Amino acid sequence: MSLDMFPWLIGLSTALFMIGALGVLIRRNPLVVFMSIELMLNAVNLAFVTFGRFLNSEDGQIFAFMVIVVAASEVVVGLALITTVFRTGRDMDVDDLSEMRE
Amino acid sequence: MTALTVIVGILALISAIGVVSLRSTIYCALSLVGNMVFLAVLFLLLNAQFLAAVQVIIYAGAVMVLFVFIIALLSPGSEDTPRLDLRFLVGIVAVFYVTLQIFFLVGNGSTYDRNATACTSATQQQCSKNPLHGAQVGQAGSPGQLSFFPDDVNKAGNVQVVGGQLFTTFLVPFEITSLLLIVAAIGAVYLTRHHVSGSRRT
Repeated sequence: MSLDMFPWLIGLSTALFMIGALGVLIRRNPLVVFMSIELMLNAVNLAFVTFGRFLNSEDGQIFAFMVIVVAASEVVVGLALITTVFRTGRDMDVDDLSEMRE
Repeated sequence: MTALTVIVGILALISAIGVVSLRSTIYCALSLVGNMVFLAVLFLLLNAQFLAAVQVIIYAGAVMVLFVFIIALLSPGSEDTPRLDLRFLVGIVAVFYVTLQIFFLVGNGSTYDRNATACTSATQQQCSKNPLHGAQVGQAGSPGQLSFFPDDVNKAGNVQVVGGQLFTTFLVPFEITSLLLIVAAIGAVYLTRHHVSGSRRT
């Protein structure tokens, strides 16, 4: 892959990250908010791998690997929280969770 | 190669827009699976074979199964149309502003050398060794130093190179990662178990 692709891949990563940020800001379903966070983490992974490829280094891939591990544990804890909060039949709306008490 | 990159990039963008715009939660999850698979293809094109496999196995496999399981458990209905309140407008304006700023920054080439050519281990004598400003890594030649040019990596094997780095240079972060996973597992068990015992009492 030639170096001409570098700005396009970084631009793609930026666009994916910003779509994820938009999802976090405008969606109200907590599950979709979580998926948008995953989208942002994936976009950062793409940026890491792209920089590593064009710097001829493996460090980007290793850092992306760490990001994947952090994302996996974040999903586990976050989904456990969502399950605990919303199993009582509450509406799936993050706006209703402005206070952290029962 | 370039055409495939462009096609996969556009598909990744479309599926990402699907995640934030589709009404039904299960369609959002499906769109996110597509996005992850397209990103795995991009990783393959960027010479990161190990990471592409990890992406498909962990993200598209494990994480998305967890998501679909939770969607089935909670069975949320489809969301109504987003409210056109102040938060919505401020969010859209801020996101587009920052996106345009980064596009402009990347587009005018302030972070990389526009005239540089991509290095392979065969052509590294002629080409610029620093396509990105401040780059000091991946320079082969000095004895005892690893070479990370794509040809050399493919000769040794991507998994071998990544694993070698992971267990030598990045050993401490790797071990801390295991600690993080243990903490996450214990936290998830505690959170869900607490709820079950509470509902039994009532």
